[in-house]
Amino acid sequence: MVFLQLFLNGLQLGAIYALTAVGFSLIFGSTKIFHVAHGSAFAISGYIYWWLASQLDVAWPVATLAAVLAAAAFGLLMERFIYRPIQRHEASFFTVFIAAFGVSLVIQNLIGSVAGRGMETVTTPLSRSVEIMDGLFVAPISAISIGVAILVFTALSYFLGRTHVGIAMRALSENPDLVRVFGLDPGRVAQWAFVIGSAVVVPGAIFTAMTAGLNPAIGTHVMLVSLAATIVGGIGSVRGAACGGMLLGLAENLAYWKLDPQWSEAVTFVVLFAFIIFRPSGFFGTPTAAR
Amino acid sequence: MATYIINLAILIGINAILAVTLNFILGYAGIFSLAHAIFFGIGAYTAAVAAMKFGADFAAATAAGMLVSGVISLALALPALRVRGEYFVAASLGLQMLALTVFSEWKSVTGGIGGLIGIPPPRLFGFDVSDPVLFLALTLACLGVILIAIRALVRSSFGRSLKAIRDDETAASALGKNVALLKTLAVMVSSSFAAVAGSLFAFFLSFINVESFVLEVSVQVIAMVIIGGTGTLLGPVIGAAIVLLLPALLTYLPYLPPTEIGSIQQMIYGLAMVLLMIFRPSGLWGYGSSQDRKRAAP
Amino acid sequence: MLKSRIAAAIAGALLWVGGAMAQETIRIGANLPMSGPNAELGEIFSRAASIAVNHINADKMLSKKLELVIEDSQATPQGGVVAMNKLVSVAKVPYVLSAYTAVSKAIAPIGDRAKVVSINGGAVGPDLAELGDYFWNVIPLVNFEAEVLIPFVVKEKGLKNIVLIFVDDPLGEAVQKVLRAEVPKAGGTPAGELQVQRSTQQFASIAAKVRELKPDAVYIASFGTQENQIIKQLRDNGITQQLMSYSAMSTPSIATLPEAKGGWYTVQSADFTASALGQRVAKEYKELSGKDANAYVANYYNAVMVFGILAQQLEKAGKPITGANLLEQRRASPTFELVGGKMTFQANGTVAAPVQIREVDGTGAGKLVK
Repeated sequence: MVFLQLFLNGLQLGAIYALTAVGFSLIFGSTKIFHVAHGSAFAISGYIYWWLASQLDVAWPVATLAAVLAAAAFGLLMERFIYRPIQRHEASFFTVFIAAFGVSLVIQNLIGSVAGRGMETVTTPLSRSVEIMDGLFVAPISAISIGVAILVFTALSYFLGRTHVGIAMRALSENPDLVRVFGLDPGRVAQWAFVIGSAVVVPGAIFTAMTAGLNPAIGTHVMLVSLAATIVGGIGSVRGAACGGMLLGLAENLAYWKLDPQWSEAVTFVVLFAFIIFRPSGFFGTPTAAR
Repeated sequence: MATYIINLAILIGINAILAVTLNFILGYAGIFSLAHAIFFGIGAYTAAVAAMKFGADFAAATAAGMLVSGVISLALALPALRVRGEYFVAASLGLQMLALTVFSEWKSVTGGIGGLIGIPPPRLFGFDVSDPVLFLALTLACLGVILIAIRALVRSSFGRSLKAIRDDETAASALGKNVALLKTLAVMVSSSFAAVAGSLFAFFLSFINVESFVLEVSVQVIAMVIIGGTGTLLGPVIGAAIVLLLPALLTYLPYLPPTEIGSIQQMIYGLAMVLLMIFRPSGLWGYGSSQDRKRAAP
Repeated sequence: MLKSRIAAAIAGALLWVGGAMAQETIRIGANLPMSGPNAELGEIFSRAASIAVNHINADKMLSKKLELVIEDSQATPQGGVVAMNKLVSVAKVPYVLSAYTAVSKAIAPIGDRAKVVSINGGAVGPDLAELGDYFWNVIPLVNFEAEVLIPFVVKEKGLKNIVLIFVDDPLGEAVQKVLRAEVPKAGGTPAGELQVQRSTQQFASIAAKVRELKPDAVYIASFGTQENQIIKQLRDNGITQQLMSYSAMSTPSIATLPEAKGGWYTVQSADFTASALGQRVAKEYKELSGKDANAYVANYYNAVMVFGILAQQLEKAGKPITGANLLEQRRASPTFELVGGKMTFQANGTVAAPVQIREVDGTGAGKLVK
């Protein structure tokens, strides 16, 4: 029974990880930008939702929409005012990395100054577990987050596979000419990648605000997990990132079954390290991607 | 006041060693490691344990730290041989997080988060060097030796081979260079020298704990290298000075509400990183543009 | 060109730092976390201290104006050491407010060497009692707290099976040690111990483990935002048993956390209503921050006030205000009238203030249980 409970907890956490990792993977896959400020989009949208829904009593659809807009705007501004100017020079990987890290530092402290430095939660009955079987507790939010994750992936797969912008987004890094064949501007497509990649973190951010709670430094952890999930799933594969996120969420929770709790987080990075050594292309990556 | 400046200078010197050693693999061999703080930590813990348990003096404790760090660096060299680019960054991140868990859980050696208290004052060949001025001299001497060693390495055939690997690994391997061996050696040299900084740090604070070796420290060292200028000898030293002096100077800003001062410092630090990367991506000490770089480095 | 400009700029910057400031005031330092994940507490500590500074100045207790110099420790040992060095050798303060166990342990040797008093009002690790003559604690350390709470819970409330969730650091380990001794002594059974890392944020599976152990009550020994997260996620994941903790449960964000309602915690007796002084501090704190004063406010107010009283006595005796003289004066007259009542320093620099048990009831300061 404990195993089943831990498995369910893992599924819920995995759904949240998958939602954040997919955004990171989408942005990296199409623009080759290692967007370590991705966690900031998570923090911003989470706090916007908290502020509207919990402080101002705005209805949840409105608050959600506002959070989506905020995350998308953040992604767009990052592309336009940080990454594009840097890439005008012959930017090295680490130039982008340091700039993005600088942005996350600014955002983290800005949130601390404006919203306070303690933990903030959105109180909702949805996060309260009920005993569905003897000793098995499930909160409505578990089902909701798994459902929303499936919904988002279905929509995203359709978008990437069937629409011109989506196909162009996937082709952008390998074959910019194909983008032009569709009559699209590569710069514009990159912006779309940032907008969509940032917007998909919103459900994860809202669910986190309802369950674990928000704090200004939350973005760092989100970024680490997204990065690990992206590698485990295989760089450039949105499907892989989703599976990677799910795997990490499950691993972190199932670790409680046999190990002492203090090792659970290390399990994430054991999985990551093992994948890099033994299967660097990840679940779905093409072997050539991992030279 | 003088003591404060000397202490700050010692910290800058220690961080400069970290930046210079990271630059050796980052700037010259193209190996981007997010785990440099781990080797800093291994050096610090080994030196502290050597001094506390076996009464080792600074030279012996540092040598022990370098040895242990060099051996453990194989864990970083292993993925460096298998993968490149973003994959290696992620691998080094994994190593950083794993090693940090070991640092905080292996309490009999590291003291966990409680840390090691009461590291004895440093002695060098029988002389007490705990006086701040002497310790600063010791730090600068270590930095100087490491700078000279790295300069010599970079200009040797070893350094030229590393640069060849950085610029084109496939071509370097086609030219008959043993890429695996060269990379492993580079990582080992860098990690052993980083352990020197760890040893200095342990003796300087006479207290160390896991919080001084976290991911943020690794990132800060990278920031020092990038801000100063990768692939230059003195750039990382300048970068270390700037990264440490900036927050120190910001505390002198007047009119800031005291409760917000920490946040404002961090924001200015972050903003400075962003602006520098946009307007001077090659670092302050680096060459002005890619054209200059090509001309200067035939 | 640019390189020489940078070199000049750095040299100039160093000179600027070197520019000494005139000593028109008496200064004391504060080495507190003002940024990062622990800044919520740093904010409370520094506000409380500044109220005491204002009172000392308004009441003209000292011959010159008292000034509080705040440095950011970031709650890390390295940050704390840099800040401490600055306070000791730039601001030349004789007295520094400290917080956090790891930071306090790192800065104590510096204070000892420079004969500068460090005084802690926030951290409760028992090893803080052993950091030398120049490290004082104005907060009862956690062993005092657990010794009060455990007999109450086990004997009076009949909750015998106790599970401990503790953070993997000196504080958590100290609580573990105290509970291992106290629970059997009171007639209870330690039903299990779960250690969590400081960075852990997900506790749903910890809750599952706790349910397995079927305790009557759960003792939580963490601090900062993690304390909140554990409480909320235990309640969310089917733990209906009594929750309890030490003074970390007295933060404003826990006071308003709905899941924390009903939780018991110990805190040093800081009854703001009992004296005129307490009421004055509580009122001014509320005006300054918009929140109700808690025990930390009392502690850091008291920490500054201890300095004010000792310095006043030294000035009267015509002695300079130095760390060594402050220590000597404290040993000569160890009892102080402070917020929360009379407080007496023991020879090892700790206080034995009365500890009370409170219950989180949704208001700032909670309900007095015992």
